[in-house]
Amino acid sequence: MPEEFTPPASPTASFYDLSEDDEDYSTITHTSTGRGVILLYTKSKVYVHPTPSAKDNIPGFIALIQQKPPTGETPSTASSPVVNPANLLLAWLPESALGSAYDTYVKVDLLDTSAPPKQTYLVPPPPISTGNSSLGSYSFSVPVSQIYSLLVRPPSLGWWWGSIVINSRSGDSFPALFFHDSECASTIAQSKARTQRNFDPFGENGELFWGGDEVLRWLKRFVKVERSQVERTVYLIDPTKDDLLSFGQKPVIDSTAGRDRAVATASGSTDIAAAVMDPFTKAIKSARWTLLEQFAKVTQFSRQTASNIIDNPSLPPQVRKLLKNPDVISLQDDFDSARLYLARWAMGIAEQSEKERAKIVWKREDIMEMEDSAVGEFEILDIEAGNIRGDGDRRRVVEMDEWSSWWNKTSGRLEITVDEVKERIFHGGCDAAVRKEAWLFLLEVYPWDSTKDERAALMNSRRDEYVRLKGKWWDDLTRREGQGEAGEYWRDQKNRIEKDVHRTDRNIPIFAGEDTPHPDPDSQYSTIGTNVHLEQMKDMLLTYNEYNTTLGYVQGMSDLLAPIYAVFQDDAVAFWAFVGFMERMERNFLRDQSGMRAQLVTLDQLVMLMDPVLWKHLEKAESTNFFFFFRMILVWYKREFEWNDVLRLWESMWTNYLSGQFHLFVTLAVLERHRAVIMDHLQHFDEVLKYINELSGTIELNSTLIRAEALFYKFQRTVEASDRRNGFPSPGTATPMVRLTHRRTTSSAPSASSENSASASKGKAVADKDGPEITEPLRALLSRNIVRVEKKEPAEDEAGKGKTPVRE
Amino acid sequence: MSSRKKVLLKNKNSDYKLKVIILGDSGVGKTSLMNQYVNKKFSASYKATIGADFLTKEVLVDDRLVTMQIWDTAGQERFQSLGVAFYRGADCCVLVYDVNNQKSFETLDSWRDEFLIQASPRDADSFPFVVIGNKIDVDDGKRQVPQKRAMAFCQSKGNLPYFETSAKEAINVEQAFEVIARHALAQEEAEEYTGDFGASTIVDIGADADRDGCAC
Repeated sequence: MPEEFTPPASPTASFYDLSEDDEDYSTITHTSTGRGVILLYTKSKVYVHPTPSAKDNIPGFIALIQQKPPTGETPSTASSPVVNPANLLLAWLPESALGSAYDTYVKVDLLDTSAPPKQTYLVPPPPISTGNSSLGSYSFSVPVSQIYSLLVRPPSLGWWWGSIVINSRSGDSFPALFFHDSECASTIAQSKARTQRNFDPFGENGELFWGGDEVLRWLKRFVKVERSQVERTVYLIDPTKDDLLSFGQKPVIDSTAGRDRAVATASGSTDIAAAVMDPFTKAIKSARWTLLEQFAKVTQFSRQTASNIIDNPSLPPQVRKLLKNPDVISLQDDFDSARLYLARWAMGIAEQSEKERAKIVWKREDIMEMEDSAVGEFEILDIEAGNIRGDGDRRRVVEMDEWSSWWNKTSGRLEITVDEVKERIFHGGCDAAVRKEAWLFLLEVYPWDSTKDERAALMNSRRDEYVRLKGKWWDDLTRREGQGEAGEYWRDQKNRIEKDVHRTDRNIPIFAGEDTPHPDPDSQYSTIGTNVHLEQMKDMLLTYNEYNTTLGYVQGMSDLLAPIYAVFQDDAVAFWAFVGFMERMERNFLRDQSGMRAQLVTLDQLVMLMDPVLWKHLEKAESTNFFFFFRMILVWYKREFEWNDVLRLWESMWTNYLSGQFHLFVTLAVLERHRAVIMDHLQHFDEVLKYINELSGTIELNSTLIRAEALFYKFQRTVEASDRRNGFPSPGTATPMVRLTHRRTTSSAPSASSENSASASKGKAVADKDGPEITEPLRALLSRNIVRVEKKEPAEDEAGKGKTPVRE
Repeated sequence: MSSRKKVLLKNKNSDYKLKVIILGDSGVGKTSLMNQYVNKKFSASYKATIGADFLTKEVLVDDRLVTMQIWDTAGQERFQSLGVAFYRGADCCVLVYDVNNQKSFETLDSWRDEFLIQASPRDADSFPFVVIGNKIDVDDGKRQVPQKRAMAFCQSKGNLPYFETSAKEAINVEQAFEVIARHALAQEEAEEYTGDFGASTIVDIGADADRDGCAC
């Protein structure tokens, strides 16, 4: 299609005169040139955001301009929409470039666009660009006939500014244009007029009016504008039949093809990244358009929860109004909580934008933008983030070539430092082939300083040992069949393992099959069938049950074993790697849950130290037990991330490169990512728990890892700063952090409560003369050692009794 | 405890939000029952529940609109020790066992005790429990707990309502939860009328204002 296009010739002198000769209109010419192109419509305060920093934003005008018609056609204006789209230009010009034409632009901006203009306003012709040739100066104009689609994102909850990205037929995208509606005189006037006219800020479709609507309206006067049914943010300009079939309309036959194409349009070029650059601000300044659309998708939304949210004084008036809209009310059936819903939805947008960004090569700006958008007043990641992200090489996956180059060819000894290896794996992760080797070092099956021969010998003895351990239960008929407690306990464990293995990662191909008859006719799965890998899993877990008799098998372990087994697909090797993993995970499974409790408490202190404002909010929401992170911590995000991400995340954390408990920084990173939503929308424990639970499958791994790393550095700095202030700590003197426990019976006025907390507590992670207190558990986070369960104090025997149910 | 519940669970339309906790051994079908009731769906591939989660459903009980918040929990006993976080304010506790698994029936009593210890309702004797024997779709030959025995148990514990269900085939699930809702509502109302209007009510108001006023 680009070939068909010939850029219109530059306007000639005669053209400029034409307009002046037009008798139907009193013509205002541009003063300096005395001639120009016709400025049909324009809108002020449309910005290009070249960098994530607001101070770099460039204000300008988006304009629809009519240029010289080809000979033979009569000149036309907005009043006669028979204009060849090739003669229309959609342009964006920075204010600074307009010179004396600025006044004309301002004037046209303020014209009532509902009626055809009475006058013709001429302005100097903008530079024409059909590709990204003019990206350097940002200003551009593109013939409407060359516009393929517009990516339109209305402002919405969390998206302060609506934006439009123009995609040309030749496949180029122009910088995203952000409509700063609150600054734009015409948009303000138009939305006011609408409200007065209808007593309703919503448009025909229940949308809230914004600047981008106007642009679509301009275009609709001259060309066909079709909203894609597949990708709702895409508007096709004069689409061909093929385009319409593919993704203009609801796909009839081949929906996937349509979707792919639409997605390709939406995310195919890096410039689209700009479209998702809208800061995800913590304040809801405006809730519009999409909000209603989204509400419509919620079939179960309860009336009373909506009334709750209406009562929330922190709710912006627009949202309140929206919720009182009868259409919205009628949709409210049954939903956990309006706040929760809003929160999840707002975050969905942010996550989506993050995912789209992830398809693009990481740039330094991305991380900067991420901070701006999500973290708000909690300023992290300043310098580090740039450094972390800056060296792209460090985040390259470790491939076999690189891995092998680190080892002596003949002896098989490591020839670089362990730290160097760990650094690379921490930042880059391993290629699938490398995992089979690297994981055995990371999980401490092999010592780093071993030779090839030593490792071979070691593995031989491990294999023998595995067979021996397995034989212990395999051959023991008294347990398999015998009466008494031991037999009963063992069979319980076996049943538990059986149940769990049959519901662990069955979506992963090797665990999916049910083609093998079940070896045990008494099993509840005997009628369903099994496969060799499931059987191996059961054997390994039963053997672990034998290996670690004090702990035994506990629910969650199957989740930890499955990825390891899948990587090695060799039961003995996988078993010992799993044993290595369990060294650090053992405390998660203790009968008294002391290990989990300790981690949740550490997390509590970490949040209190690093983000006291958020912590205070969580305290108010009765959520500082951090129970909603239980699952993430227990099985190391196994249920939150997709399979491949889990492998990548685990190997990073196994390195202990920064901290032996890096997983808590990952948790903090997840929490901080959702900070704004939590603070704005979630006020009760159940809401927070539901929200966090439902993050599963939505968390973007790379940015989370980067954020976690930056948080670690910030934590480290905080500790160092605190130590400097207090003189160096004598390890024994650190007193446990005391929780801010003042009750809510006190005034809720922020000033009063902060006074209270300052005086009433010794916890004072919040500002204080001496700075925050660094507790022992917090200080331990700086260590690269993992936390092991002390063996001299074995956990209570599984068969042991207590007040708790005898059997688990 | 009840102060929180009032703030959280009651709303001004005088409808009720009821909190129901499902307990029972691992693999008896707690998640499946909840999903069958709320989403009318059954999946053979639920993963073992880790931590806790809940679903909500709005139902009419005697012309009153109530929202049930149904909490699903991990079945392995050791994970219950952090249960305080979500047991609080429960209006009804559902004890589930697998009719094909003798052990899961035998532990019902300890589940009940544990719940009473952790949730510490004001009146333990009158706190509503409902017992469900699940997986009755599995063929009779595998059944380990006769109906009679289960009923005798329920009778001995104070005439606990008893249902036999199949979450897989949606047998009796609706009926069971209807009774659960009814008992939970009665419990909620009873709590409301048995005092609790003293100082704690004042706290409620403060807490409420505080909470909703938080714009942070």
